Amino acid sequence: MGRSKLISSHRKPRKHAHLPKSRAQTVSVAPQLEPGAPSDLELMNRIQAEDADALSQLYDRYNGILKALILRVIHNEAEADDLLQEIFMEIWNQAKNFSSQKGKPLGWMVTLARRRAIDGLRKKQAYARAEERLQNETEQQPDAWIHNATEEEIVLSDTRDLIRKVIEGLPPAQQQAIDLAFFRGMSQREIAAKTNTPLGTVKTRLELGLKKIYDGLKELRGEL
Amino acid sequence: MNFKEFQNQSRLYVIGALEAEELEKFEKARKKFGKKAEDYIGECYGLHEAFALSLRPAKASAAIKERLMAMVRTRKEA
Repeated sequence: MGRSKLISSHRKPRKHAHLPKSRAQTVSVAPQLEPGAPSDLELMNRIQAEDADALSQLYDRYNGILKALILRVIHNEAEADDLLQEIFMEIWNQAKNFSSQKGKPLGWMVTLARRRAIDGLRKKQAYARAEERLQNETEQQPDAWIHNATEEEIVLSDTRDLIRKVIEGLPPAQQQAIDLAFFRGMSQREIAAKTNTPLGTVKTRLELGLKKIYDGLKELRGEL
Repeated sequence: MNFKEFQNQSRLYVIGALEAEELEKFEKARKKFGKKAEDYIGECYGLHEAFALSLRPAKASAAIKERLMAMVRTRKEA
Protein backbone atom coordinates (compact mmCIF):
# COMPACT_ATOMS: atom_id res chain seq x y z
CA MET A 1 0.00 0.00 0.00
CA GLY A 2 1.34 3.41 -0.82
CA ARG A 3 -0.27 6.52 0.52
CA SER A 4 -2.37 5.75 3.53
CA LYS A 5 -5.99 4.75 3.22
CA LEU A 6 -6.73 6.78 6.32
CA ILE A 7 -7.20 9.53 3.78
CA SER A 8 -9.86 8.44 1.37
CA SER A 9 -10.86 11.72 -0.24
CA HIS A 10 -9.19 14.09 -2.62
CA ARG A 11 -11.18 17.02 -1.27
CA LYS A 12 -9.02 19.96 -0.47
CA PRO A 13 -9.19 20.71 3.25
CA ARG A 14 -10.71 24.08 4.10
CA LYS A 15 -8.46 26.67 5.55
CA HIS A 16 -8.83 27.23 9.24
CA ALA A 17 -7.50 29.70 11.68
CA HIS A 18 -4.45 28.79 13.73
CA LEU A 19 -4.83 25.96 16.18
CA PRO A 20 -5.60 27.03 19.72
CA LYS A 21 -2.75 26.85 22.20
CA SER A 22 -4.85 25.57 25.07
CA ARG A 23 -4.69 21.87 25.81
CA ALA A 24 -7.99 20.07 26.09
CA GLN A 25 -8.56 17.25 28.54
CA THR A 26 -9.47 14.51 26.07
CA VAL A 27 -8.92 13.76 22.41
CA SER A 28 -12.62 13.40 21.66
CA VAL A 29 -13.58 15.31 18.53
CA ALA A 30 -17.30 14.59 18.27
CA PRO A 31 -19.08 16.58 15.56
CA GLN A 32 -21.27 19.54 16.43
CA LEU A 33 -25.03 19.02 16.54
CA GLU A 34 -27.84 21.21 15.28
CA PRO A 35 -29.18 23.56 17.98
CA GLY A 36 -31.88 21.83 20.02
CA ALA A 37 -30.92 18.34 18.87
CA PRO A 38 -30.55 15.81 21.69
CA SER A 39 -26.96 15.01 22.59
CA ASP A 40 -25.55 11.56 21.95
CA LEU A 41 -25.55 10.95 25.67
CA GLU A 42 -29.23 11.88 25.95
CA LEU A 43 -30.01 9.45 23.14
CA MET A 44 -27.98 6.72 24.82
CA ASN A 45 -29.81 7.30 28.11
CA ARG A 46 -33.11 6.97 26.27
CA ILE A 47 -31.92 3.80 24.50
CA GLN A 48 -30.99 2.39 27.90
CA ALA A 49 -34.65 3.02 28.82
CA GLU A 50 -35.65 1.10 25.64
CA ASP A 51 -36.82 4.12 23.67
CA ALA A 52 -36.77 2.90 20.06
CA ASP A 53 -37.14 6.43 18.67
CA ALA A 54 -33.81 7.34 20.28
CA LEU A 55 -32.14 4.44 18.46
CA SER A 56 -33.72 5.66 15.25
CA GLN A 57 -32.23 9.13 15.79
CA LEU A 58 -28.83 7.73 16.69
CA TYR A 59 -28.95 5.60 13.54
CA ASP A 60 -29.77 8.63 11.38
CA ARG A 61 -26.91 10.54 12.96
CA TYR A 62 -24.17 7.92 12.71
CA ASN A 63 -25.04 5.20 10.22
CA GLY A 64 -22.90 6.86 7.55
CA ILE A 65 -19.82 7.06 9.76
CA LEU A 66 -20.16 3.52 11.05
CA LYS A 67 -20.80 2.11 7.60
CA ALA A 68 -17.73 3.92 6.25
CA LEU A 69 -15.68 2.35 9.04
CA ILE A 70 -17.06 -1.13 8.34
CA LEU A 71 -16.43 -0.71 4.61
CA ARG A 72 -12.84 0.28 5.28
CA VAL A 73 -12.39 -3.03 7.04
CA ILE A 74 -14.36 -5.50 4.94
CA HIS A 75 -14.62 -3.81 1.52
CA ASN A 76 -17.98 -5.30 0.63
CA GLU A 77 -21.10 -3.15 0.31
CA ALA A 78 -23.74 -5.82 1.04
CA GLU A 79 -21.80 -7.33 3.93
CA ALA A 80 -21.23 -3.86 5.35
CA ASP A 81 -24.99 -3.18 5.31
CA ASP A 82 -25.71 -6.45 7.09
CA LEU A 83 -23.02 -5.79 9.65
CA LEU A 84 -24.27 -2.25 10.18
CA GLN A 85 -27.69 -3.60 11.05
CA GLU A 86 -26.18 -6.15 13.45
CA ILE A 87 -24.08 -3.46 15.10
CA PHE A 88 -27.03 -1.15 15.74
CA MET A 89 -28.93 -4.14 17.12
CA GLU A 90 -25.96 -4.77 19.41
CA ILE A 91 -26.01 -1.11 20.43
CA TRP A 92 -29.66 -1.59 21.39
CA ASN A 93 -28.95 -4.84 23.25
CA GLN A 94 -25.73 -3.69 24.94
CA ALA A 95 -26.75 -0.12 25.75
CA LYS A 96 -27.02 -0.99 29.44
CA ASN A 97 -23.28 -1.70 29.44
CA PHE A 98 -22.45 1.80 28.22
CA SER A 99 -21.06 4.10 30.87
CA SER A 100 -20.49 7.79 30.18
CA GLN A 101 -17.68 7.71 32.74
CA LYS A 102 -15.64 5.49 30.45
CA GLY A 103 -16.11 7.51 27.29
CA LYS A 104 -18.45 9.09 24.81
CA PRO A 105 -21.25 7.25 22.99
CA LEU A 106 -19.66 7.69 19.56
CA GLY A 107 -16.34 6.30 20.78
CA TRP A 108 -18.16 3.32 22.29
CA MET A 109 -20.07 2.68 19.07
CA VAL A 110 -16.97 3.00 16.89
CA THR A 111 -15.02 0.62 19.11
CA LEU A 112 -17.87 -1.88 18.95
CA ALA A 113 -18.24 -1.51 15.17
CA ARG A 114 -14.51 -1.87 14.54
CA ARG A 115 -14.28 -4.99 16.67
CA ARG A 116 -17.26 -6.57 14.93
CA ALA A 117 -15.94 -5.67 11.49
CA ILE A 118 -12.46 -7.06 12.17
CA ASP A 119 -13.95 -10.20 13.74
CA GLY A 120 -16.10 -10.65 10.65
CA LEU A 121 -13.11 -10.25 8.40
CA ARG A 122 -11.11 -12.83 10.32
CA LYS A 123 -13.97 -15.31 10.57
CA LYS A 124 -14.42 -15.37 6.85
CA GLN A 125 -10.68 -15.59 6.29
CA ALA A 126 -11.29 -13.03 3.62
CA TYR A 127 -7.98 -11.22 3.73
CA ALA A 128 -7.06 -12.15 0.21
CA ARG A 129 -10.43 -11.17 -1.21
CA ALA A 130 -10.45 -7.89 0.71
CA GLU A 131 -6.96 -7.21 -0.56
CA GLU A 132 -8.16 -7.51 -4.12
CA ARG A 133 -11.12 -5.22 -3.49
CA LEU A 134 -8.91 -2.76 -1.68
CA GLN A 135 -6.71 -2.63 -4.74
CA ASN A 136 -9.73 -2.00 -6.97
CA GLU A 137 -11.02 0.71 -4.66
CA THR A 138 -7.67 2.39 -4.57
CA GLU A 139 -8.06 2.92 -8.28
CA GLN A 140 -11.68 4.06 -8.03
CA GLN A 141 -11.78 6.20 -4.91
CA PRO A 142 -13.02 8.62 -3.90
CA ASP A 143 -15.86 8.78 -6.42
CA ALA A 144 -17.23 5.36 -5.56
CA TRP A 145 -18.30 6.56 -2.11
CA ILE A 146 -19.61 9.97 -3.07
CA HIS A 147 -23.31 10.55 -2.70
CA ASN A 148 -25.52 13.56 -2.11
CA ALA A 149 -24.53 15.07 1.19
CA THR A 150 -27.18 15.60 3.83
CA GLU A 151 -27.09 18.60 6.17
CA GLU A 152 -25.73 16.36 8.90
CA GLU A 153 -22.87 15.26 6.67
CA ILE A 154 -22.03 18.85 5.83
CA VAL A 155 -21.71 19.58 9.55
CA LEU A 156 -19.54 16.47 9.83
CA SER A 157 -17.32 17.51 6.95
CA ASP A 158 -15.70 20.27 8.99
CA THR A 159 -14.72 17.75 11.63
CA ARG A 160 -13.48 15.39 8.95
CA ASP A 161 -11.35 18.03 7.29
CA LEU A 162 -9.76 18.99 10.59
CA ILE A 163 -8.97 15.40 11.52
CA ARG A 164 -7.54 14.77 8.07
CA LYS A 165 -5.26 17.74 8.46
CA VAL A 166 -3.77 16.06 11.49
CA ILE A 167 -3.45 12.68 9.77
CA GLU A 168 -2.08 14.12 6.56
CA GLY A 169 0.67 15.72 8.59
CA LEU A 170 2.18 12.30 9.25
CA PRO A 171 4.81 10.71 7.02
CA PRO A 172 3.15 8.13 4.71
CA ALA A 173 4.93 5.21 6.40
CA GLN A 174 3.42 6.17 9.77
CA GLN A 175 -0.03 6.56 8.21
CA GLN A 176 0.29 3.16 6.60
CA ALA A 177 1.31 1.44 9.84
CA ILE A 178 -1.63 2.99 11.70
CA ASP A 179 -4.00 2.17 8.88
CA LEU A 180 -3.03 -1.49 8.89
CA ALA A 181 -3.29 -1.71 12.67
CA PHE A 182 -6.57 0.15 13.06
CA PHE A 183 -8.54 -0.75 9.96
CA ARG A 184 -7.12 -4.22 9.31
CA GLY A 185 -6.56 -5.29 12.89
CA MET A 186 -2.96 -6.29 12.17
CA SER A 187 -0.37 -6.88 14.87
CA GLN A 188 3.05 -5.26 14.68
CA ARG A 189 4.52 -8.51 13.41
CA GLU A 190 1.88 -8.81 10.69
CA ILE A 191 2.53 -5.23 9.62
CA ALA A 192 6.27 -5.89 9.56
CA ALA A 193 5.75 -8.95 7.36
CA LYS A 194 3.29 -7.24 5.05
CA THR A 195 5.43 -4.14 4.54
CA ASN A 196 8.77 -5.97 4.64
CA THR A 197 9.90 -3.66 7.42
CA PRO A 198 11.86 -4.48 10.61
CA LEU A 199 9.60 -4.99 13.62
CA GLY A 200 11.33 -2.23 15.59
CA THR A 201 10.69 0.23 12.78
CA VAL A 202 7.01 -0.68 12.71
CA LYS A 203 6.78 -0.12 16.46
CA THR A 204 8.47 3.26 16.17
CA ARG A 205 6.19 4.31 13.31
CA LEU A 206 3.10 3.37 15.28
CA GLU A 207 4.29 5.09 18.45
CA LEU A 208 5.32 8.31 16.73
CA GLY A 209 2.30 8.45 14.46
CA LEU A 210 -0.23 7.81 17.20
CA LYS A 211 1.41 10.36 19.48
CA LYS A 212 1.28 13.02 16.78
CA ILE A 213 -2.37 12.27 16.06
CA TYR A 214 -3.23 12.22 19.76
CA ASP A 215 -1.50 15.55 20.39
CA GLY A 216 -2.97 17.05 17.22
CA LEU A 217 -6.49 16.03 18.16
CA LYS A 218 -6.16 17.54 21.60
CA GLU A 219 -5.34 20.84 19.97
CA LEU A 220 -8.07 20.55 17.38
CA ARG A 221 -10.71 19.87 19.97
CA GLY A 222 -10.88 23.51 20.92
CA GLU A 223 -11.66 24.41 17.34
CA LEU A 224 -14.72 22.14 17.00
CA MET B 1 7.73 1.12 32.87
CA ASN B 2 7.35 4.80 33.74
CA PHE B 3 4.14 6.71 33.04
CA LYS B 4 5.42 8.27 29.83
CA GLU B 5 6.21 4.82 28.45
CA PHE B 6 2.81 3.67 29.65
CA GLN B 7 1.20 6.51 27.69
CA ASN B 8 3.02 5.42 24.53
CA GLN B 9 1.89 1.85 25.03
CA SER B 10 -1.68 2.92 25.78
CA ARG B 11 -2.08 4.40 22.32
CA LEU B 12 -0.95 1.10 20.79
CA TYR B 13 -3.14 -0.83 23.20
CA VAL B 14 -6.39 0.88 22.20
CA ILE B 15 -5.86 0.01 18.55
CA GLY B 16 -4.95 -3.58 19.45
CA ALA B 17 -1.36 -3.26 18.26
CA LEU B 18 0.49 -4.48 21.33
CA GLU B 19 2.26 -7.80 20.96
CA ALA B 20 1.57 -10.49 23.58
CA GLU B 21 4.78 -9.89 25.54
CA GLU B 22 4.15 -6.14 25.56
CA LEU B 23 0.58 -6.66 26.69
CA GLU B 24 1.74 -8.50 29.79
CA LYS B 25 4.02 -5.63 30.84
CA PHE B 26 1.33 -3.13 29.95
CA GLU B 27 -1.24 -4.83 32.21
CA LYS B 28 1.23 -4.81 35.11
CA ALA B 29 1.86 -1.10 34.62
CA ARG B 30 -1.86 -0.50 34.30
CA LYS B 31 -2.39 -1.99 37.74
CA LYS B 32 0.53 -0.02 39.14
CA PHE B 33 -0.76 3.35 37.88
CA GLY B 34 -4.39 2.63 38.81
CA LYS B 35 -6.96 5.35 38.13
CA LYS B 36 -4.45 7.57 36.34
CA ALA B 37 -3.87 4.71 33.91
CA GLU B 38 -7.58 4.04 33.38
CA ASP B 39 -8.26 7.72 32.74
CA TYR B 40 -5.48 7.87 30.18
CA ILE B 41 -6.63 4.73 28.37
CA GLY B 42 -10.15 6.21 28.27
CA GLU B 43 -8.74 9.32 26.59
CA CYS B 44 -6.88 7.22 24.05
CA TYR B 45 -10.12 5.61 22.90
CA GLY B 46 -10.90 9.03 21.43
CA LEU B 47 -8.53 7.92 18.66
CA HIS B 48 -11.14 5.41 17.52
CA GLU B 49 -13.71 8.14 17.17
CA ALA B 50 -11.27 10.32 15.25
CA PHE B 51 -10.27 7.60 12.78
CA ALA B 52 -13.93 6.90 12.05
CA LEU B 53 -14.68 10.60 11.63
CA SER B 54 -11.79 10.93 9.19
CA LEU B 55 -13.73 8.80 6.68
CA ARG B 56 -16.30 10.09 4.24
CA PRO B 57 -19.69 8.75 5.45
CA ALA B 58 -21.08 5.92 3.36
CA LYS B 59 -24.73 5.61 2.48
CA ALA B 60 -26.51 2.59 3.95
CA SER B 61 -29.34 0.86 2.14
CA ALA B 62 -32.74 2.27 3.18
CA ALA B 63 -33.97 -1.23 3.94
CA ILE B 64 -31.40 -1.63 6.71
CA LYS B 65 -33.05 0.87 9.02
CA GLU B 66 -36.49 -0.61 8.39
CA ARG B 67 -35.22 -4.10 9.23
CA LEU B 68 -33.41 -2.80 12.30
CA MET B 69 -36.44 -0.98 13.69
CA ALA B 70 -38.68 -3.97 12.97
CA MET B 71 -36.27 -6.18 14.94
CA VAL B 72 -36.24 -3.69 17.81
CA ARG B 73 -40.04 -3.58 17.92
CA THR B 74 -40.18 -7.37 17.92
CA ARG B 75 -37.62 -7.53 20.71
CA LYS B 76 -39.57 -5.00 22.79
CA GLU B 77 -42.82 -6.89 22.35
CA ALA B 78 -41.27 -10.25 23.26
